[in-house]
Amino acid sequence: MGDTQYIGKSVKRVEDKRFITGQGRYTDDIQLPGMVYAHIVRSPYAHAKINSFDIASAQSAPGVIAIFTGDDIKKAGMGGVPCGWQLHFKNGDPMVEPPHPLLIASGDTAKHVGDGVAVVIADTRANARDAADLIYVDYEVFDAVTAAADAVKPGAPLVHESAPSNICFDWEIGNPKAEVDAAMSTAHHITKINYRNQRLAPNAIEPRCAIGDYDGANDRYTLYTTSQNPHLTRLLMCAFVLGLPENKVRVVAPDVGGGFGSKIYHYIVSVHLVSK
Amino acid sequence: MQVSITVNGKSFTHDVEARDLLVFYLRDTLRLTGTHVGCDTSSCGACTVHLDGQAVKSCTVLTCQADGRSVTTIEGMANGDNLHPLQEGFREEHGLQCGFCTPGMIMVAADLLERNPNPSEHEIREALEGNYCRCTGYHNIIRAIQYAASHAVAA
Ligand code: FES
Ligand code: FES
Repeated sequence: MGDTQYIGKSVKRVEDKRFITGQGRYTDDIQLPGMVYAHIVRSPYAHAKINSFDIASAQSAPGVIAIFTGDDIKKAGMGGVPCGWQLHFKNGDPMVEPPHPLLIASGDTAKHVGDGVAVVIADTRANARDAADLIYVDYEVFDAVTAAADAVKPGAPLVHESAPSNICFDWEIGNPKAEVDAAMSTAHHITKINYRNQRLAPNAIEPRCAIGDYDGANDRYTLYTTSQNPHLTRLLMCAFVLGLPENKVRVVAPDVGGGFGSKIYHYIVSVHLVSK
Repeated sequence: MQVSITVNGKSFTHDVEARDLLVFYLRDTLRLTGTHVGCDTSSCGACTVHLDGQAVKSCTVLTCQADGRSVTTIEGMANGDNLHPLQEGFREEHGLQCGFCTPGMIMVAADLLERNPNPSEHEIREALEGNYCRCTGYHNIIRAIQYAASHAVAA
């Protein structure tokens, strides 16, 4: 077998050397000149309306460069992130696609624990986090529902007003019903089973992470982010969120610490960093 | 406060805040980014380094606790171009995919082999209880450590 024959052989991976010697380069390993840090303030409630923000003491905290709340995002007219995959109801209606704002504004509701409401930019990681603790958000807490089966019951709290019964789409795949019924009617044996899909946790060990770099002289943006799909991120971010031409934006996915599908999405945090 | 720490055989003196974590000292101040942060809640083990030869999670150690002590990170494991037997083992046995957990795995395994040069499979699995790998399913990590145990060079 010549050296160029690889089928049936086990080959050494080219990336292993850097990974086993600590020379990998994941997003958080990158340090750019003048880099500053963002800390996102997130809702501690699953369902709560924001009455107001008080950022005064955070603004004068050491090292703080800027603070943006959902109100600033709303004022700037920035939309939310789109869903990258369009599905339809069984009857052909398009799926309900409620808005996913970049940060929740006052008067609007946080839809889950961890929904972003404000972002603090500071000179160091610690200062950003300290200042975030000084942001006061006045929430009005509503009932929430956490189990999918309960969410579709009558009277369940609605996550999005635009999705009645908390259903965004009702999708099916497979042979047409008449065909299946015909097959069943002639089957020798029929087994029935109630099947509930298992919980999936496609969580990688490397957390979400992004660095935005704006080159003002050339009006170009670079986003370094841990992503399985940098091209899609660029497309969605440019065309649907920021309204930037794609040629001005470069999305770099360096070494990625696992993904399992969870890093295919275009995450809100990427937009925050690019748009600043 | 001022600390003096030996890292991978070199001495460093820096001013740090009392609350600074060792992992950020290694990553941000010394730019030794092979030590990773997967959680910072002491769950994942990606940040494992040696403190005076013992495996610790550096996200749960204050920099000032390392004052006057000696730290080894993944960057200090190879001897020039000669890989440590554990590094060889991970490469030979395909003990990694994304590589994010690998430095922590190697550091915790090095501590194990130091104490117990011929561990059983069960002992290896127990030693890894504080380290997550989301990619490999662990089997090849066990093989990698067994490879290292059987290929250990008298250091
Ligand atoms: S980062 Fe230290 S245990 Fe996860
Ligand atoms: S190789 Fe990816 S987490 Fe272990």
